[in-house]
Formats: sequence, C-alpha cells, structure tokens
Amino acid sequence: MAVSEIAVAAGSRLERPFVDILKDAAITGAVTFALALPLVGFQTVDQTTAIVLRTRFPELFYAVAVIFLGRLLMLLTNAGLARPIAAATGALSLLWLANGFFDVFEPPHMVLGWLTWIADTVVALRAALVMRRRQVAAAGYLRSDFGEHVVVMVNRLGGWLAPFVAAFAVALPFLPFADQRVMDIGIAILTYVMLGWGLNVVVGLAGLLDLGYVAFYAVGAYTYALLSTKFGFNFWEALPLAGGMAASFGIMLGFPVLRLRGDYLAIVTLGFGEMIRLILLNWSDLSNGARGIGDIPRPSFFGMPFTPAPPEGVVAFHQYFNLDFAPIHRVIYLYYIILLLALVTNFFTLRIRKLPIGRAWEALREDEVACRALGINPTNTKLTAFAIGATFAGFAGSFFATRQGFISPESFNFLESAIILSIVVLGGMVSQIGVVVAAVVLIGGPEWFRDLSAYRMLAFGALMVAIMVWRPQGLLAHREPTVRLNDPKRAKPS
Amino acid sequence: MTAPPLLRVEHLTMRFGGLLAVDDVSFDAADRQITAIIGPNGAGKTTVFNCLTGFYKPTVGRLALNSSEGSEHFLERMDGFRIAQHARVARTFQNIRLFPRMSALENLLVAQHNRLMRASGYTAFGLFGLPVYRHAQAHAVERARYWLDRIGITARADDNAGTLPYGDQRRLEVVRAMCTEPVLLCLDEPAAGLNNRESAELNELLLFIRDEHKIGVLLIEHDMNVVMKISDYIVVLDHGRRISAGTPEQIRNDPAVIRAYLGEEVDEALPAEVARDLGVPATAPRGQP
Amino acid sequence: MGYFIQQLVNGLTLGSIFGLIAIGYTMVYGILGMVNFAHGDVFMIGGFISVITFLVLGLFGLTWVPFALVCMLIMSMLFTSLHGWAVERIGYRALRNSNRLAPLISAIGMSIFLENYVQLLQGARNKAITRMLAGGFQLLEDSSGFTVQVSYMQVIIIGTTIVLMAGFALMIAKTELGRQQRACEQDMRMARLLGVDVDRTISLTFIMGAALAAVAGMIWLLYYGIVDFYVGFLAGIKAFTAAVLGGVGSLPGAMLGGMLIGLIEVFFSAYFSTQYKDVAAFAILVMVLIFRPTGLLGQPDVEKV
Repeated sequence: MAVSEIAVAAGSRLERPFVDILKDAAITGAVTFALALPLVGFQTVDQTTAIVLRTRFPELFYAVAVIFLGRLLMLLTNAGLARPIAAATGALSLLWLANGFFDVFEPPHMVLGWLTWIADTVVALRAALVMRRRQVAAAGYLRSDFGEHVVVMVNRLGGWLAPFVAAFAVALPFLPFADQRVMDIGIAILTYVMLGWGLNVVVGLAGLLDLGYVAFYAVGAYTYALLSTKFGFNFWEALPLAGGMAASFGIMLGFPVLRLRGDYLAIVTLGFGEMIRLILLNWSDLSNGARGIGDIPRPSFFGMPFTPAPPEGVVAFHQYFNLDFAPIHRVIYLYYIILLLALVTNFFTLRIRKLPIGRAWEALREDEVACRALGINPTNTKLTAFAIGATFAGFAGSFFATRQGFISPESFNFLESAIILSIVVLGGMVSQIGVVVAAVVLIGGPEWFRDLSAYRMLAFGALMVAIMVWRPQGLLAHREPTVRLNDPKRAKPS
Repeated sequence: MTAPPLLRVEHLTMRFGGLLAVDDVSFDAADRQITAIIGPNGAGKTTVFNCLTGFYKPTVGRLALNSSEGSEHFLERMDGFRIAQHARVARTFQNIRLFPRMSALENLLVAQHNRLMRASGYTAFGLFGLPVYRHAQAHAVERARYWLDRIGITARADDNAGTLPYGDQRRLEVVRAMCTEPVLLCLDEPAAGLNNRESAELNELLLFIRDEHKIGVLLIEHDMNVVMKISDYIVVLDHGRRISAGTPEQIRNDPAVIRAYLGEEVDEALPAEVARDLGVPATAPRGQP
Repeated sequence: MGYFIQQLVNGLTLGSIFGLIAIGYTMVYGILGMVNFAHGDVFMIGGFISVITFLVLGLFGLTWVPFALVCMLIMSMLFTSLHGWAVERIGYRALRNSNRLAPLISAIGMSIFLENYVQLLQGARNKAITRMLAGGFQLLEDSSGFTVQVSYMQVIIIGTTIVLMAGFALMIAKTELGRQQRACEQDMRMARLLGVDVDRTISLTFIMGAALAAVAGMIWLLYYGIVDFYVGFLAGIKAFTAAVLGGVGSLPGAMLGGMLIGLIEVFFSAYFSTQYKDVAAFAILVMVLIFRPTGLLGQPDVEKV
C-alpha cells in the first residue's frame, strides 16, 4: 500500500506511533464491518411467495476498506503528514471524478463510488486545513476562527449577489433555454424558497423547531381547493383567506403548546402535522379522503384564463395579447406568481427582523428568562412568529393547489416538513441567500438528475447531521446587528 | 399621612415541597434608596427576588409596590413579564443573562420592547417605515446611547454582548434593566466576580442610578465592601428568616448577624478576613460590639 | 365482557412493544435532556436484523423454533445496539454542550438518514415472514358465547417484556453501571469529577436503549409478521408519547406509559374507529404535554433562575 509505505518511511516524523494509528483505524474498520454486516452484507429480496436472501459481500468489504483507509489517512494527517496526504488525496479526488466519466475502474456499486469520492475529498480538505493551520501557527499568528471568516465573506458576497439573483429570476422565462422543464423546476425551487423563508421566521429567528410546518401548507392548499371548487372563489380572492386560515391554525395550535420546552414543541408540532394529514385522509365529506380534490381552477390573468378555447364571452390571455396559444404562457404566469409571493416573503422577513418584534424573537431564542424579566410576553411573541410562518405556508399551499390542479393528503406528509426544514438548516438558519442556495441544490438537483433522486433524502439526512456536528449554529449562520450605533467602516478603537 | 414605601413585603413565605426556602419575611424598601438583602448562602435571598419578579408564586405573602406616581400593584398576583411591564420592576440575574449573540445596543433595544411595539403599531407601522415608528426607534437608540456612554462601552456597542469583558457584561445587564424605565431595580449579586476596580465602577453606577434616576434599588450582595459602602438600609436573612434589619452601622454591630455568618460553634475572635468583610475590628469577641 | 378482555390482552401485547421502545427515549432524555428522534428507527432496524437473522438461519436449515427465537433475539440485540452506539457517537457526542436545537436537528437528520439507508439497502416493500409460532389457547368464554383467544405468541411477548423490564430495573437500581448512570443524570459535571467515565456511561445508555428497542422490533415482527422501513416513524412517536405520558426520565413511567398507550390504541380501535387511532395517540400526546407536562410519574422540574 503506497500510503502506508510513505507513512513508514516518514515514521520518525510521526507524532504518534504508526502501530497505534493502525490499531485505531483497524478498530474503526472492524466496527464498520459489524455495523454494515447485516444490512449491507445481506439483502432481502421479494419473490412471489416469500422473501429470499442475497449476499453483497464485495460491496461490504469495499465499504469497510474505504472507511478504514479514510480513518487511517485522517489519523496520519493529524500525526503530521498533512502535506503528502493532501496532495495524494487531492489528486485522487480529481482522478476519481475523471474515472466517473471514463469508467476505467468500476466500484461494486455507484453509491460506493460516490462514498469513495466523498471520503477522499473530505480527507483532502481536512489535510489542507490542517496544513494551513500549522503554517499559520508557525508564522506566529492564529486566526481565531477561519470558518467564521469564510462565512462572513460568503454572506457579504450573498448581499452583493442578491440583486443579480433576483434579476436573473425575473428574466428567466425570456432566456433562450427556458423551456417547460426549466420553468417547472424554477417553480418548484421558488415554492421551496418561499417555504424556507417562511419557516426561517419560526426556526431561525424565533428558535422554535416546527416539525409540522407542512400542516399549514396543507391548510392553505385545502382552503383554496375547497373555496374554489365549492364556492367559486378565484385564486386572488382565496389567497388571503388561505393565509388567514393557516394563521388561525397556527394560533390554535400554538396557544396551548408554545410554552413547552423546545424539544417537546418539536414533537407536538410533528404530531399536529400528522394529525392534520390523517384527518384530511379520513374525513371524506370535507376533503374527499385519499382520492383528493381535483379540477381545482387555475389562476387567471385579470380574469383572462389560459385556455385554448375559452367559454363564450370570456377573452383568453392569448387572444387579448394577440399571441398564438401556448401552454407555456400559463407556466410562465405561475412562475411569476410564485416569484412575487417569494419576493413578498423575502421583503417581509427581512424587514420584520429589524422591527421590535423580530428582535424580541431573537431575544427569546437567546434567553427566554431574561425576556420575561424585561417585560416581553413570551407566549404572544412566539405566537406571532408561529402565525406569520404559518401564513406564508398557507400562501404557498394555495399556490401549490392552483399549480397542480389536484391535491391529496399524500402531498403533505412528514417528508415535506423534513425537506423544508433541511433547506432552512442547510441554508444556514437566518441566512436568506443560504435558503436560496439550499433550495436550488436540494430541490433543483434531484429534479434535474432524476436517477439520483432516490438518494436525495439519504443525503439530506447525512448532511443535516454533518452540518450540526460541524457548525451547530448553522452552515452560513452569521448575524449582522439589526441596527448599528457606530459606522462599521471606521476603525474601532481597541 | 406618610406615603407607603415603594415596596412592602409582608409575611412572604415560599415552600418547595418540604423545604421552607423563605419563612415569613417582611421588610420595606424605600424609594430613592439602596436596600441590600444579605445573608449566608442558601438564606433564601434569590428566592425572595424570584417571588418579587414573578418567577415563583409565593406560598403566602403580600408584595405591594407603590410607585411615586401613585399606582399600586400586588406582585404576588402577577405573571413575570407583567411585573416588568406594568409594575415596572426590573431585575438582573446571578449568572449573567444577556442575549449573547445580539449586540450590546440590541440588548438595550430589546429592553424597550413594549414601548417600541406600541410605536410600531404592533409591527404594522414599522413594516412600512412610518415616521411615528422611526422617531420612536431613534429615541430608543438615543436612550441606549445614553446608558452605553454612562458605562463607557459606546465604542463596542455593535459587538455581540457575549464578547464583552466580564465586568462590562455585568454593568450592561444593569443598564439593560434600566432601559425598561423601572421604579424598582432588583440586582442579584451584581458584583460577583468583579475585581476591585470593576467593583468600584459598579458602585458608582448604582449610586448614579439612585441619585439621578431617583428609583429604588434592591440589592443582593455578598461583597460587604459594596454593601456597607452604598446601602442605605440592610435586611439580613438566614435560613429563610429575617434575622435583622437596619442601617449599615446597626447591622455591623448586630450580634445575631455576626453569629449567622460565623455559625454557632465559633467562640473565638473573628478571623481577620471575616472581620474585614463585616467591617468590625478583628479582635472584637463575638457578640460584643 | 369477553370482547373487553380480548382487547385487554391485545392492548397489553401492543403496550409491551411501546413500553420497550419508550425506555430508550426516557433514558436518553434523562441523561442528555434530548429527544433521540432516531430511536424509532433503531427499533425498525431491530426488526430488519431479526428478519435477516431469520433468513440466514433458514439458509442453514436451523428452523427449530425455540433456537431460532433465541438466535434472533441475541443477534438483533447485538447488532441493533451497535447501531444505537454509532448514532450517539457520530451524531450527538460532539453536540453535548451545544444549544438545544442542534442535537435535535442532528437527531432528525439521523432519523431521515436511517430510514432511507434501510429503504435503499433492503427495498421499500414490506418484509413478511411466515408465522413462526401458531396456535394459542382459549382463556375463557363469556355468557354471550364470545371466546377470548390468547395466542402463544402473546404469552411469549408479554412474558419476555416483563422479564426484560424487571431485569433492567434491577440493573439500574443495583449495579455499578446503574449507579453511574443515575449519577450522570443528576449532574454530569460532578459525576465526571468523581471519576465516572461519562462518555462510556452515555454510550452504554444508548446501547441498552437500542437493545430493548431491538427486542421490541423483533416482537413487532413476530406479532405482525411484517416490517418495513417506515415502521419506526409512527411506532417511535407513539413510544415517545408513552414516555411523556409516563413522565420523561422515569423508567417505571415509560413502562406504564407504554402499556397505557397500547391499551388506549387497541380500545379506541375496538370501540370507536380504527381510522382515527393514530389521531387519538397524537391527541393524547398534546393533551398530556399541555395539562401535565411532567407525565404521570415524572418529577416536576423547577426552573432554575
């Protein structure tokens, strides 16, 4: 093994005996083996009469080898071999990517290929970081937190980029590559961006972990669906009602439970989300049960529908504007509706953060006891956060209903709540641009690469854990004060 | 007829299960005075505070607050945040409870929350940046600047409160409580962990608050240097009971107090460091003023 | 009357499962103050490892029922507790002194990861095994002619649960490990200063919780004959409800709560509606948290200011 030869050659330079390191890595390998043996090593396969067992030992051993080597390299990095390991693994990382294109070497399974690459890249990045840290320490100064510095840079960059991103979003439908598929993905991403910004008020600002956010999304969707199919409301009439309905559900739920401690609150909201879904599923008179509600009216442009042949006396959109009928008109219109809704959400959440209520949310997140001692009513303050978050979910829900034309309880399961939460968490909590990036990656990515979508939730889960372990305050969490007394550009007297 | 005192505590009793933390304690705290509550550890001082500020509901007792403006509140009946909001009793905590990831300035603005909420039309005016809110906000920032100037950390106003030096955090918590415009300020061991210089700065701040802002201050403190120097009146608790009350001079010479601090068994002369804390001559035998 | 007793037996069987899972929630909450959201999925993994052990035994023709059951129990406890240990080591250990939200989000991530991990590795469909132990006996027949049937499986399940819970309670009360665990629960820092290996104690807590969840997973498999990757989600929430109902942090509370939730679910289905039985479980959770957050046997925690 090349790497271990290097290690042995450099043995005298190691800060920890090589045997020791090898033992440590071997233990990790053994534990991995034991962990992976039942679930990776064996596969239960359904056959017509019963399930049978197949083995997957090559995959098992491959995975164990990757973890063993990864751990070994990590330990060697810490023991003073950062430079050669950074070079070797960095090169391997690139080679592996190239291999992905040319298929020279084929791992037992595609996922194992990815695992190899991720493990290798993590080792490479870590080695680079260790190298840099040693150099900096040798040079006699130490940056207190390199990560913090990067985050500040990214956030500053995000502030610069925001107008360009917004301009791009506005111009997107007129760009040459914007076909139906691109627009659909755009709509999906914007819906989740809006939901993420809405949930950010609750989770990021107020620090309330809401695992049942999708319930309010469902309330909004069903409110619009029922108002439109039963009472003939159009989209714009129903929108505020849907938001209001979701907000009142938020208040109804929040009032009794918001005095609970954080983790209890999380579970109760989760239970509430499931309860709403189960009620929608079983209360057929109201919701038509599992069959869902179909034929939900599509939005019209100032009363002009997007249909090829409108009924007598109604002018269709394409007729009024002298265009040839094209289905994409409606898609573009839907795109602009959700863009508008998302921008309103953005404006509102950015603004409210700097108002007394927003500061009170953050203060509550920091220390509820101190807030009470300062005369802030904790229940009401949390309730507003909950209600405002719910309102945006309600808006997004009614948009979802009008876009799909069909809704059923299955669209509102816990998985949706989990996806929205991962967007907020991975986006860095409190960071507006972070939510956009996370939504593009998490929603756009799998929509684009369909074969990978099966692995999407696996990756979400792993990333949530990794980010919490690495940066518990959130990936891009960096907070600018809501109001300043001194000019930040002036040098501070020390 | 003389006006009732700012705070009148009558027969305050707090029981946790079988534990009697505060036992039938009564005392007054006057307006424009610093009243100190002292006593050995576990004497029930912080429990008295928690009852006063609504974190505990007293088992028995009446806590009447009469502000100079004529309003009267019975604190034992009120929720914690209402005590701060309506009765205007503000407090600090033994272990500093700032909002560590918000700037010092923001800490002081959060303290003015209720006033700003009204001015922002419960968010509606604020959302559209109406002048009425903008003025209120500017006013609040001015008030914050006044207090930041007073404790000399204006230059660091935009830094996170958690990054300030310990002594500054202590004083920031005090001025944060002042930003709620209280009629009674309750301080739970504000000098704990401060060095001599910081302690002197704190004394100065407390005297300034009493004399310039003309409110009542209620103080729990272990540091006898602070207590003896700035208190106008002292209440001594031991094992949940009030064992003495009076001016610093009276307390210094009260045998019951000295006994409480030294324990029953000690018959010898006061150890030097205890004597220094209590401010009595080190050679004086116990119980002989 | 006969119908009622029949439901009682069924409810106790289901309650055994919830009680065994609930102990894991309660122990972790007691020592770390966090809801181990992934615990329901650890239970699910226990079920899967039982299936796989069963099939491996089948490959070797080792199908004598008592032997197979013991093998399944041991393997499932062994490998599942390793998963429980790994969850703590990877997802929670680094976050022990972090803010309250971080471990919870990590736990949710862990739960999502485990569910999808099992789904991808073992497929999304139900895994059904043949009934290992058929038959039962007639407990009694009431005046209306309704006979109360108790299957042997139910006897084994309730019996195993009682033995495990008694042994477990004894261990916490009497052994060195139990003492260290209670010490960590009271005051982790002080326990560390007194020489308790806190990391090890916490790891063992997770291992024990996972082992009991593994038993629950195996029981689930034997009782229903079926397991799938999503089974941990609902069962986990119900077991958590049981832990809260009994009083989070209290072991007898978890057992009592588990039994109560099992009984409530079975009786609700029997007398009202099966469709809303899950709603009933969630409603109980919300009610308990609102009206008696300390649960039936829990200690009220006084807020330290």
